[in-house]
Amino acid sequence: MLKSRLNITLMRLLLGIASLLVLPHIGTLNPLFIVISLALIAWSAFVHFFNRFSPSTWVLLPLSLLLAFLVLKLHGMSLGREASSSFLLVLLGLKLLECRRQRDVLAVIFVSFFVLITPFLFEQTIALALYGLCLFFLLLCALVVNASSSTAIRPAVVAGFATQIGLLAIPLMLIGFLLFPRMIGPLWAMPKDASNAVSGISDSINPGQISHLALSNETAFRVRFNDASPAFNELYWRGPVFWQTDGQQWTVSLNATRRETANDLSPVNTLYRYSLVLEAHHQRWLYSLDTPIASPDQVRLTQDNQLLLKDKLRRTRSFDLLSNTQAAPEILTDKDRLRALALPQNTDQRVYQLAARWQVDADSDIAVINKGLAHFNQEDFYYTLTPPRLGVDPVADFLFSTKRGFCGHYATSFAVVLRAANIPTRLVAGYQGGVYNPVGEFWEVRQADAHVWVEAWLAGRGWVRFDPTAAIAPNRIQHSIDFNNQRLGGEVRFLIEPSEGFSNWALQFTSLLQAIDYYWESGFLAYGPEVQRDFLSSLGIDGWEQMVLWLAVLSGGLILMVTLFLYRLGVRKVDPSQAAYLAFCKKLGRRFTYKKPAETSLHYFTRIAALKPDLALALQQIRQQYLLSRYAKTDVRKLLALIRSFRF
Amino acid sequence: MPQTLAERFSLKRFKQGSPTQKSFVVLNLRRVYILPNRAGLTLAAVIVFMLVASINYSNSMGFVFTFLLASATQVSTFFSFRNLSGIEVHGLKCAPCFLGQNTSASFIVKETEGRDRWGIVATIDGQQLSIAHLKPHQSYPINLPVLPSQRGWYSPNTLTLSSVFPFAVFRAWSPLLFAQKLLVYPRPLSFNQTIPSLPAALTNSSITSPSTGADDFSGFKTYQPGDPYRQINWKAWAAEKGLFSKQFSSQQSAQVWLDWHACSSANTEAKLSELCQWALTAEKAQLRYGLRLPSKLIPPANGDAHLQHCLQTLALFNLPADA
Repeated sequence: MLKSRLNITLMRLLLGIASLLVLPHIGTLNPLFIVISLALIAWSAFVHFFNRFSPSTWVLLPLSLLLAFLVLKLHGMSLGREASSSFLLVLLGLKLLECRRQRDVLAVIFVSFFVLITPFLFEQTIALALYGLCLFFLLLCALVVNASSSTAIRPAVVAGFATQIGLLAIPLMLIGFLLFPRMIGPLWAMPKDASNAVSGISDSINPGQISHLALSNETAFRVRFNDASPAFNELYWRGPVFWQTDGQQWTVSLNATRRETANDLSPVNTLYRYSLVLEAHHQRWLYSLDTPIASPDQVRLTQDNQLLLKDKLRRTRSFDLLSNTQAAPEILTDKDRLRALALPQNTDQRVYQLAARWQVDADSDIAVINKGLAHFNQEDFYYTLTPPRLGVDPVADFLFSTKRGFCGHYATSFAVVLRAANIPTRLVAGYQGGVYNPVGEFWEVRQADAHVWVEAWLAGRGWVRFDPTAAIAPNRIQHSIDFNNQRLGGEVRFLIEPSEGFSNWALQFTSLLQAIDYYWESGFLAYGPEVQRDFLSSLGIDGWEQMVLWLAVLSGGLILMVTLFLYRLGVRKVDPSQAAYLAFCKKLGRRFTYKKPAETSLHYFTRIAALKPDLALALQQIRQQYLLSRYAKTDVRKLLALIRSFRF
Repeated sequence: MPQTLAERFSLKRFKQGSPTQKSFVVLNLRRVYILPNRAGLTLAAVIVFMLVASINYSNSMGFVFTFLLASATQVSTFFSFRNLSGIEVHGLKCAPCFLGQNTSASFIVKETEGRDRWGIVATIDGQQLSIAHLKPHQSYPINLPVLPSQRGWYSPNTLTLSSVFPFAVFRAWSPLLFAQKLLVYPRPLSFNQTIPSLPAALTNSSITSPSTGADDFSGFKTYQPGDPYRQINWKAWAAEKGLFSKQFSSQQSAQVWLDWHACSSANTEAKLSELCQWALTAEKAQLRYGLRLPSKLIPPANGDAHLQHCLQTLALFNLPADA
């Protein structure tokens, strides 16, 4: 019963597509729902191929309600992207199970289209996009098979239709993609789960914090300099600035005031213009080459040189920035001086003693700082990704007992000691270095490049950057961390020497892949409201009204063009012999008398023969040949030759 | 035929089609209409949902697939149109039928552009016939049952060719109204195969010489069109002597008048039914019969042509001439 009604090939196709739709969700969604949806698909395969265990409505209805409740229950009764993806997967399985008529098949296909875009809410890689395109193609095939309602339609024919339609749809899709007005911000409150598990620098820093990032090869952002790049050891990518500490951790202050005056005293030869494609990191700050001196639209440049967005960055965006590595000094207000010297009450006395030791014989702040850096270099300090656990007072523990740590340890403890030595200090988090991609000519900065350093206020010089990590592990500042050779607990390795042979090739190949990925991200994924506005206004399209207008005009024009093309195709071709005959009649008409619309060739030629009796024979021949080629389908060329040889 | 402005803007065109006098039409841009069906509206809702999700998560790939789906659906309309365009539909002459008898309107659907056509459905008055696959240059005969409601000339309703190919979300259709006419004879009293006897009064009063046996052979006469085939002397024909019909004495003598006034019923339609039945019976009995109506008189004769003449006269009795 069931088999006869639904095309078995179509069912096979739909079940295959459904399984392929579940696959990309493995690892992102709750495994329970992956298992449930695969089980539902397997069940419906059983029903359709063996015609057994077909569920009745009395089973399906409670099952659907139960599963819907389960989805909501396990996702805190809110419909975020994980909940809705799970929900759609379960719905797909249930719909397959009750697939009995053509209408149900369409419903399954429609749900599949929706499910198709859900993996992209979690990641938007090129590989996943290609996978999605393949599935999209298969879904178009399923639509065609379903609509043909014929088992005679061959797979090649189906694929042909799907390909043609898919390819023709691309120009129209591009128009929509480019011109559909993008809105800033979500339509409703952003479900919280969208910011889950984003690695990167957070809004508070404790000594051990950065080390977990060193093992992450994820891209933080990519930078393309308009002109030459600065030297590697100048590549400090400035992020949030930390002023406050409670002894355990440092917290960021994002309500800093806007910087009033532009920094016009900076030298011009250290000015860098660049565009930076920042991955969604769900924080408000941007990263920029130290020190940013101008802010793009809707970004605030603060007094302490942070670039702050109004809202958290929830999607990859591209920014055009301007920095100067030798920025002019700023002013330090008394209030800020107090903030930059504040230490928690319970600071260990040994910290003050250490500060005092550094101050002995030092006639200036810079001498104290240099002594401090020398202390880190000469004492028994080690740079490691797996430092021992620290106690209640991490600074004292690190400085006086463990002495093993990562940039976070060095920067935080250095800052604390400097404050104890009465030098205004703040902590800056960000990234250092990056990997240059020669193929795409851009710098790729990965999470592994995350870094923390110290800025100290020196009278007359302003805020100056000091990096205690450089004193311990100079290689860290000269080279990027070699992620591929990084081992937890092993030595920290850096990308120092270019590898040779196969490894070199592999490196080049990786560069190529990363370059492709860069263009994918900067050109495609970063196409949001701001990029769209800039891009379209460079074409003279301003504002959403004009976007909608152009969207309508271009897509309408495209559709009209195809329609006209079809119309031209649809015009019936005149039989060639008839065309030749009619052209001949027109010629005769100009010379003698026109053919009446209802007149046959016999009548007309007789009329002409009466006027010009010497033409009668030739006309008779032409008439015969015309009738032959028109109705007996003989070669039309004979007729054409006769007409050509006709002399008036 | 040029349309008037009113005809051009009338919505009826899309359902009933504009009448054509030609024996065949070619489906083209002027004749094929297309609209989303219910599934198409559902798909539109799905696309809107996908768009909302893409906007909410500012998801580029979401936008890509949403617009790709919408564009593919839009592009599919061209393929829907191409699936129907260039098909020739010929309206065939329909055989006459009796009122109340099932008959069919016949058409030929012809592929002319050398392409495969899929899933075409022909509909008249809710009666469907689907052509799953029309091969290149194939001619496909369609017979769709029609049930005329009264005698006389009957024009079958609009033939609609439709197809939801390739996505089943748009329905392309073409309403075709041919000038086909179908003659509907009055309903005979019964379709019984056994020959009911003619009313006794009628027979007695009309038979001139009942003495000769009904099937007595009486000689040959030269064949005239209308003579029954079974009475042709085939042997003589085979001997190349010419075409002769056998004559039977009863035929000459058994001559009946099917008289309007001799009918038992009072109502016009019932009388016509009765006369129709008599004509059929008389023809089966191989009598010579004439028809006497208030307005018309058909002299006695027999044979197929005569029967049809009589039946047509009955069918069109008292109907306006233009029909």
